[in-house]
Amino acid sequence: MAILIDRGTRALVQGITGKIGSFQTKLMIEYGTNVVAGVTPGKGGQKMECVPVYDSVHQAVRETSPEVSICFVPGPYAADAAMEAVDAGLRLVVVVAEAVPLSDAVKMLALASERGSFVLGPDTAGLISPGRSKLGVQPHQLFTEGNIGIVSRSGALSYETAKTLTENRIGQSTVIGLGGGPVWGLTYRDALERFKDDQATDAVVLLGEIGGHMEEEAADYIAKGYPKPVVALVVGRTAPPGQKMGHAGAIVQQGRGAAQDKIAALRNAGAAVVNAPREIPNVIKAELRRRPRAK
Amino acid sequence: MQLYEFQAKKVFEQSGIPIPKGRLARTAEEAAKVAEELGDALVVKAQVLTGGRGLAGGVKFADSPEQAEKIASEIFRSVIRGERPRAVLVEERLKPLCELYAGVTYDFRRKCPVMISSSQGGVDIETVSREHPEAIARKLIDPFRRFEPYVGRGLATEIGLIGNKANEYANIVGCLWRIFEQYDAELAEANPLALTGDRLVALDAKLNLDDKSVSRQSDFLKSIEPMPADQREGYEVRRSRARELGIPTYIEMQGSIGVVADGAGSGMLTLDLVADYGGKTRVYCEMGGETTAEIMENALLAALAVKDLRAVLINLIGGLNLMDEMAKGISSYLRKHPTKVPIVVRMSGTNQDEGRRVLTAEGIRWFDSLYEAVEKAVAVSRGH
Repeated sequence: MAILIDRGTRALVQGITGKIGSFQTKLMIEYGTNVVAGVTPGKGGQKMECVPVYDSVHQAVRETSPEVSICFVPGPYAADAAMEAVDAGLRLVVVVAEAVPLSDAVKMLALASERGSFVLGPDTAGLISPGRSKLGVQPHQLFTEGNIGIVSRSGALSYETAKTLTENRIGQSTVIGLGGGPVWGLTYRDALERFKDDQATDAVVLLGEIGGHMEEEAADYIAKGYPKPVVALVVGRTAPPGQKMGHAGAIVQQGRGAAQDKIAALRNAGAAVVNAPREIPNVIKAELRRRPRAK
Repeated sequence: MQLYEFQAKKVFEQSGIPIPKGRLARTAEEAAKVAEELGDALVVKAQVLTGGRGLAGGVKFADSPEQAEKIASEIFRSVIRGERPRAVLVEERLKPLCELYAGVTYDFRRKCPVMISSSQGGVDIETVSREHPEAIARKLIDPFRRFEPYVGRGLATEIGLIGNKANEYANIVGCLWRIFEQYDAELAEANPLALTGDRLVALDAKLNLDDKSVSRQSDFLKSIEPMPADQREGYEVRRSRARELGIPTYIEMQGSIGVVADGAGSGMLTLDLVADYGGKTRVYCEMGGETTAEIMENALLAALAVKDLRAVLINLIGGLNLMDEMAKGISSYLRKHPTKVPIVVRMSGTNQDEGRRVLTAEGIRWFDSLYEAVEKAVAVSRGH
């Protein structure tokens, strides 16, 4: 088992004929993702990496029944494409585009929540269940199959952490990138809920960063009694206040959203807090020894 | 992207929100000239982006054009929370009966726009929210519904306005909403919104635009009168040059190491590790996770424009980013601009083998481990 996607999950790629979309589709198929269709309006009837391309998501759904989608459509058009996928009934849409206008993003998230679909992102690396399936842009050679769930706002920080775990012979069950913010579809809390019920996951690594309230919400949730060990890292400890640190949501404003507050909240909730990814393997081993897997 | 007060006020005025009479002045002499057109009750306001400008001496009253000129020349010589003013706004000084607040922004927790009103203007709304929550009225706006005028009337009544004043206030709320929607703003705020006689006037205007909507707002952005360019070499100049080079995040600090990263989270981790290893970052450039060889080259151009760097640390761990492209960008920069500053590269991710081959062929040393790379960069920055 893995969360959100698994071996065989039927995937749609929106924006499949673009430069990034086609290259990443090739990598996903090589990795084993079951890509059943692609959509690019105006390019229907072609094939891309042996995958049929349609003009609309509804048409692709009728012909090939995908369950989830990854959307490589560029920022100004991304939310419209994602809403099309939600409207067609897909349960999960990964929105990769970095520059989705905020007013579009809030519409997209409102529609998804109304329809009971999940949006991952925007500005996300997507998700990967190593050895099973990948609905994202991760450099997959850094990942291995195993029992640790990772959830991170930043894609690159999740790669860094997976690399360290892999080098220490600790594999990952599912690795999720939530995106750069400042609004998110899927949250840390949503991911923690799913990892809780996932038999393949024995512990969760939460990779946080400055800005917003998502880490604090996760801490509140963990504090109510989370059955699996949580190891947390919050980056941006040395970021100057008032500056957007690369992600739209990564900013300490008027003293709020600081790394120190998030670290304190997570520590008080019972998470084991570390300062760098390379401390994580030993902490995980110790936590799993202390709290053996619940059967 | 934050607009200057004079730019925001122009937008407010064009949308129907009353603002005080006044004009921008680029020199003290110009300030005196503007003042002469306005009479004797004057206010001179430094055009800077920092908050708390009034407390930092950036807003001053004058009672004559001569005094306005003197104040303006003081402001031009001052540094206001790190910013050197390049222009002042000279305006008529109004005598408000009371100061209100009206604004539209996003509620990031609820993921929708929110209209905020308060009977206590003139102070930061966050402070009012903390100290006098009862003086604030809020209304969430459904992203799929239009703003309807009754919402403005409701807010006006909730903050205690009656009769014509309530109507005036509701109109201004409607104008703010149109600005917010039409120009993809993150924040449109009139604070204080002064009540003078029967009229409401926006004494200050804030308009922050959504950086992610820039591409579809290019006509609007072109229509905004620019702030006079800074002729003095400094942080602001280097930052805007970096932006022109396609580097979205450029931040200067006190230190000796240049840090370049291709991801927000991995970049912040790099900064934290540099500090943990006893180093100090001087300049930070983050390129975003979807970048090109050209941007990589430009990031080095931007970082190395800072003098006296003792090391540059490049941390690349790409998914969408292709490492062979990044390696081409680095080697292209170094061929065109040979430098004595040691360059430390950490490279992992998509197409890493091809990228590392390019670096090796160019004689550029690379690391697989972030920690070794940070350790090396900090050591060389300390002369080891």
